[in-house]
Amino acid sequence: MRRKRHTWTSNIVAAVLLLLLLSPLLWMLQLSFRPADDVIAEQLLFRPTLENYTALWTGTFPQSFINSVITSGVSTVLSLLLGVPAAYTLARFRFRGDRHVALWILATRMAPPIAFTIPFFLAFKFAGLSDTLTGLILIYLTFNLALVIWTMRSFFAGVPRSLEEAAWIDGCGIWGTFLRVVIPLSTPGLAATGILCFILSWNDFFFALILTRTKAMTSPVAIVNFMQYEGWEWGKIAAGGTLVMLPVVIFTLLVRTWLVRGLMAGAVKE
Amino acid sequence: MASARSWQAEQRRSFLLGLVPALAVLTLVTIGPVLYLTISSLTPLNPTVPGSGWDFSAPWRNYATALGEERFLLSLWVQVKLSAVTVVGQIAIGLGLALLLDTNSRFMEAIRTGFLLPMVLPPIVVAVVWKIIFTPDISPMHRLLEWAGMPIHSLLSNGDTALWAVVVADTWEWFPFTMLMMLAALQMVPKEPLEAAAIDGANRRQTFWYVRLPYIQQTLAVTALFRLIDSIKAFPLIYVLTDGGPGRATEVTNYYAFVQTFNFSYWGYGSAVATLLIAGVLLLSWIILRFGGRGMAGADHA
Repeated sequence: MRRKRHTWTSNIVAAVLLLLLLSPLLWMLQLSFRPADDVIAEQLLFRPTLENYTALWTGTFPQSFINSVITSGVSTVLSLLLGVPAAYTLARFRFRGDRHVALWILATRMAPPIAFTIPFFLAFKFAGLSDTLTGLILIYLTFNLALVIWTMRSFFAGVPRSLEEAAWIDGCGIWGTFLRVVIPLSTPGLAATGILCFILSWNDFFFALILTRTKAMTSPVAIVNFMQYEGWEWGKIAAGGTLVMLPVVIFTLLVRTWLVRGLMAGAVKE
Repeated sequence: MASARSWQAEQRRSFLLGLVPALAVLTLVTIGPVLYLTISSLTPLNPTVPGSGWDFSAPWRNYATALGEERFLLSLWVQVKLSAVTVVGQIAIGLGLALLLDTNSRFMEAIRTGFLLPMVLPPIVVAVVWKIIFTPDISPMHRLLEWAGMPIHSLLSNGDTALWAVVVADTWEWFPFTMLMMLAALQMVPKEPLEAAAIDGANRRQTFWYVRLPYIQQTLAVTALFRLIDSIKAFPLIYVLTDGGPGRATEVTNYYAFVQTFNFSYWGYGSAVATLLIAGVLLLSWIILRFGGRGMAGADHA
C-alpha cells in the first residue's frame, strides 16, 4: 500500500516538473498562433490564427526548408553508405591501430566546428562550392560519418557472429554475408542511426550560417534572418521555429528507445 | 593449412575494402582541414591581403598575440565560468531527474521522452525560445514578475546578468543528456546490494550515497567531461541571445575565434585560436579514453 502511494506521488511530481520545464517551449508554440497585433497584448486568451504560418509561405522560407531536407537527407544516405561497411569492419576485424581510429573518430566528434569552418570556407571559395547544397552535404559528413562508424560499430559488436560464420562456411563472401545476413538483422540500429544523422544535419546552424548566403540557405538560418532583416516579427519567428522543430519532435516520439541508444553512443560501453 | 591462410588473406582484403573508402573520406573532411588550419595559424592569413596565406616569416606571432591579448584571456575566463556552472547544473538536475524517473512504468517512459526534448530540438529553436523568455515585451517571465510587483530589466542587456541568462538556457538545453546517462547508469546498478541495503534498513539517502553512487560515479565523471567539451562549442545560443555582449560579457573563446575570423578577417589569428581550442579538446578526449578503459568509454550525443 505504501509503495503504491509512493509511485503516485513521484508520477505527479514528474508530470508537474515536465510541464514546468517545457513551459518555455509551450510559450513559443502559443506565440506562433497569435495574431500579429496581439503578440505583446496583456491578455492570455486569444483567437488562434494560422496567419503567421501562411505568411511564411510567401518569403524565402519554403526554399530554405527544402534545402534543409535535401542536405540532411543526402548527407545521411552518403554517411550510411560509406560508414556502415567501415563500422562492420571495425567490429569484426582486429588490426593494428584500431585504437587510434577510435581516438580519431572521438576527436572528430569533439572538435569545435570553427576548426573545420575556416579551411572549408577557403576551400569552397576556391572550388566554387560556397553557397551550394553540395558544399553543405560535404561538411555534414564531418560529423555524420564519424557518428555512423561509432554507433554502428557498437551495434554490430552486439550481433552474434555464429550466423555469419555459418554463411562464410557455405561459401558466401564477407560482403555477401553482410548484405544477406547482417544488414537484415540490423535494421533497427540502421534506422536509428540514420534518423540521428538526419537530426544532426537538420539541426546544424553554424556551418550553414557561414557557408551559405541565399541559394543554399537552410531553415535555421532563415529564422535568424527574420530577426535581423525584417524587424522583430515574433509571430513569424515562432511559427518558423515550430516548423523547424516539428520533424525532430516527430522522429523523437517515433523511435525514442533506439534514439536514446544513439544519443549516448559510445558514452556507454555496450 | 594453405587454404586457411588464403582464406584469411582474402578476408583481410575484403574487410579493408569496406574500411578504406570511409577512412579516405574522413581523412579528406577532417584531417585535411585540421592540417590546413594548423598551417594557416602560422601565417597572417587575411583574404583581403594577397599572399598572406604563404607568409611564414613570423610563424609564432599569432600565438604570441593571443597569449598577450586581454580579450582572448577574458574569453577564456568567460568560458570557464560558463562551462563550470552549466556542467554542475546539468549534472545536478540530470541526476535528480534520473533518480525520480528510475522506474519502468509506462507512464514514466512517456514522461522521459518529454524530458528528452530540449536536447534534440534544433539549437536555433532553443535560442528562439529563450530569446522570447528574455525579451521583456513578450516574455511570460517578465510579465509574471511585474504582476508580482517585482519588475526587472532585461537580463540580456545587463553585463552582470547576461552570462547567467545564457547559463540558464544552456543548462535547459543539455540537462537531458546528463539525465539519460545517469538513467542508463542507474539501471545497470545490480539489484542484490540494493535489496541488502533495504533489508539492513537503509533509508533512501543512505542507499543513494553508499550503494548507488559508487556504481555510477565513473559514468558521472565521463558525462561531466562530455558536457565540458561540448560547452566549449556553445554557439547558436550566444549568437542569438547576446552576440557576445553586452561588451564582452558573454564572449566565450569559440565565439571570439568566430568574430576575429569572420567579422574582422583575421583568418590566420582565428586559425591559431581554433588550433588552441582543438588542442584543449584533444586533451580532454584523451582523458575520456583513459577513463574509458574501465567500464565506461566515450563518444557521442546529438
